[in-house]
Amino acid sequence: MRTLVLIFIVLCSALTPAVAAAQDPAALRREIEQLQRQLQSVTERLQRLESQPPPPGTPAPPGAGPGVAAPPGEPPGTTGLGEPPSAMDLARPRQPFSLYQQRGSGHLLFDIGIAGDFVGNITQRNVARAGGGTFAGQENRFFPREVELSLFGQIDPYASAVVRIEAGEEAPGQETGVHLAEAYLTLLTLPFGTQARLGQMRNRFGWSNEVHEHDLPWVDRPNVMRNFLGGEGLQEKGVELTLVPDLPFYIEALAGIFNGDNETAFGRGTLQHPLATGRLRTFLELGDEHAIQLGMSVASGQTGDRNRSTILGWEWRYKYRPDGWLHPLITLTGEALYSLRKADVGVDLDGDGSIDQVDKRQRNHWGWYTGLEVQPFRRWAGGVRYDWSQYPINPGWEWAIEPYVSFWPSEFLRFRLAYKHTDRSPQTRDAFNLNDSSARKVDELLFQASFILGAHPAHPF
Amino acid sequence: MRRTLVMVTAVLGLLSLSLTGAHADRKLRVVATIPDLKSLTEAVGGDLVEVDTLTRGTQNFHEAEVRPSMMLKLRRADALIENGLELDTWADVAVTGANNPGIIRGSPGRIEISRGIQLLEVPTTRVDRSMGDVHPLGNPHFSLDPGLAPIITQNIVDGLSRLAPDNRPAFEKNRQAFLQKLDGEMERWTKQMEPVRGGKVVVYHPDFIYFLTRFGLVQVGMLEDRPGIPPSPQHLVQIIRQMKAEQVKVILVEPWNDLKLAERVAAEAGGGAKALVMANSVGAVKGADNYIAAIDYNVKTLAQVLK
Repeated sequence: MRTLVLIFIVLCSALTPAVAAAQDPAALRREIEQLQRQLQSVTERLQRLESQPPPPGTPAPPGAGPGVAAPPGEPPGTTGLGEPPSAMDLARPRQPFSLYQQRGSGHLLFDIGIAGDFVGNITQRNVARAGGGTFAGQENRFFPREVELSLFGQIDPYASAVVRIEAGEEAPGQETGVHLAEAYLTLLTLPFGTQARLGQMRNRFGWSNEVHEHDLPWVDRPNVMRNFLGGEGLQEKGVELTLVPDLPFYIEALAGIFNGDNETAFGRGTLQHPLATGRLRTFLELGDEHAIQLGMSVASGQTGDRNRSTILGWEWRYKYRPDGWLHPLITLTGEALYSLRKADVGVDLDGDGSIDQVDKRQRNHWGWYTGLEVQPFRRWAGGVRYDWSQYPINPGWEWAIEPYVSFWPSEFLRFRLAYKHTDRSPQTRDAFNLNDSSARKVDELLFQASFILGAHPAHPF
Repeated sequence: MRRTLVMVTAVLGLLSLSLTGAHADRKLRVVATIPDLKSLTEAVGGDLVEVDTLTRGTQNFHEAEVRPSMMLKLRRADALIENGLELDTWADVAVTGANNPGIIRGSPGRIEISRGIQLLEVPTTRVDRSMGDVHPLGNPHFSLDPGLAPIITQNIVDGLSRLAPDNRPAFEKNRQAFLQKLDGEMERWTKQMEPVRGGKVVVYHPDFIYFLTRFGLVQVGMLEDRPGIPPSPQHLVQIIRQMKAEQVKVILVEPWNDLKLAERVAAEAGGGAKALVMANSVGAVKGADNYIAAIDYNVKTLAQVLK
């Protein structure tokens, strides 16, 4: 009880100056004078606008242009210069689409965009039989990998939201599946430089995990990311909190709590044993032309068989953009992952071929990739990516090299052609040796066509 | 436990006290999306504001890359001044990454200066991307028209005064002084441009329509096939033919566009036609260090080449 009283007293003392200021007659007088000045200024401005002849050749803006937009603070639906809303107008339920109609064409309450991403690949027959290609089960096919409908915008003055619905062919002959890829809201007005994101999202773990398939600078996700986080990457349901402290240099700290549904890396899928994530990201500008982003991530949770799994990640991204260029000339990107994981391993104690007991063994494996892209022309870019990766539990490793060329007829359409050579070590087993075939050496010709219809948010660095 | 609770509450209380009236004893930290707005805000804000910009004059503002350095500037900003009309929508991504609730869309610190501007090139038909990177709300490059500076600066004064109401008289005084100076320059510029009124120009990208309209010049063509779409050879042939037929003497080029291509087109068109890099913004060319200097550069250049 005493605590409550103390809290009350402290809060009262904190708020007292504001209340006192509001009640101070001098302050009120100042405020009235201020309002009078504002009114005078608006009147002068209106008179000036009315007296100003339109420039020659000026087409009349259709309907209510930005010039008659409602000033901040006015209720939605009023035009600022038109009649104030009647009591009936105010009483009527305010549906988003009736607001849209009142605002006129060209104003959407949220943005809508569609991104389409089609890929094709040609590889050896034995690789197709073994299911060991980059797009396992989809070897020697052309298919829609991801067609994504995005809706994004402000919910209210305090929060924004993103909803992404995806469709794509997952296996030949199957109907194209539609699923919710992302749906999250971001609380924008939290104090002390913080923000919270809640819902289902691509986790901000490393640089490439957050990037959607059609926005990647390569046809496919890097091998290390697919091996350790699965083909779709880390997509989880939960909460992320970011902090950007008020410092002279940029640093973003992130912490998150998720279900841990990702079956490749975690899979426990409960908040009783959640997946915890963290990331630190910083950015350095070396003059106007050179920029480096560095980051470090961690994700720790439990696997489906209740073993601890922790993945550490490091990322780097460098861009050289000569002054006045519309695009970077050189981009260098890389990430490394280190997985510390307990795994259940069957042990044959008496040598009879049957498993007598299951031991928990520590598996610490890792991998990395780095990619270089050169874009000498606005519409053309070429690059190469090198991958080296172990597997999270199984022995063996693989390396791959992937040169590619990209062509953009416009900002919204892109074609990409790539060749990828993958070489797997002899210890590699299971998934790459199906149907009496081997996919130890894989050569693939990859093709990608991507387009954007409608709105698409700007890409971060 | 109780003691901890009391301590936490006391600290929060003191923090809220320290944040009350945080603007009162220091300059407003203002960030503008483009250099023109930085220069105009400096003119209006004077000593009462510190102004930074997210882009440089030599950049294409449509395609600015969102860098964390932008987020760093925005993290500490009291106000973000944006052009609007989809020229600088990328600022939303930078604002979201800055974790600064004071400048998110709809907050008092978000100042859009297109309010009250009579827009040009507002599409009157259905708009889609087959027309290129067209702006459905109208051409957003209005800041190049010095005749619109009174409205732009009024929007800036109104926006800054929302954050620092006590400073409104000072902002208004600075604005009047700036407009008075601009009026003097405007008179001179109008005289300079009078002999070339009706002169025909070709532009690389439709950045200059407000400036050209203000001084009575006519834009007869564009090097880009459609806005934002690089020119095809067929389109260039057509433009060269048009320049010859209409005796166009100049192609206006932004510093970020392909000057060599424009020079080749000008050479093909003959008749002494030139391709010139213009100050499509403050800082786009040498000497265009502020708003008046940028407009002055454009006026001088065109008055000379078109005479």
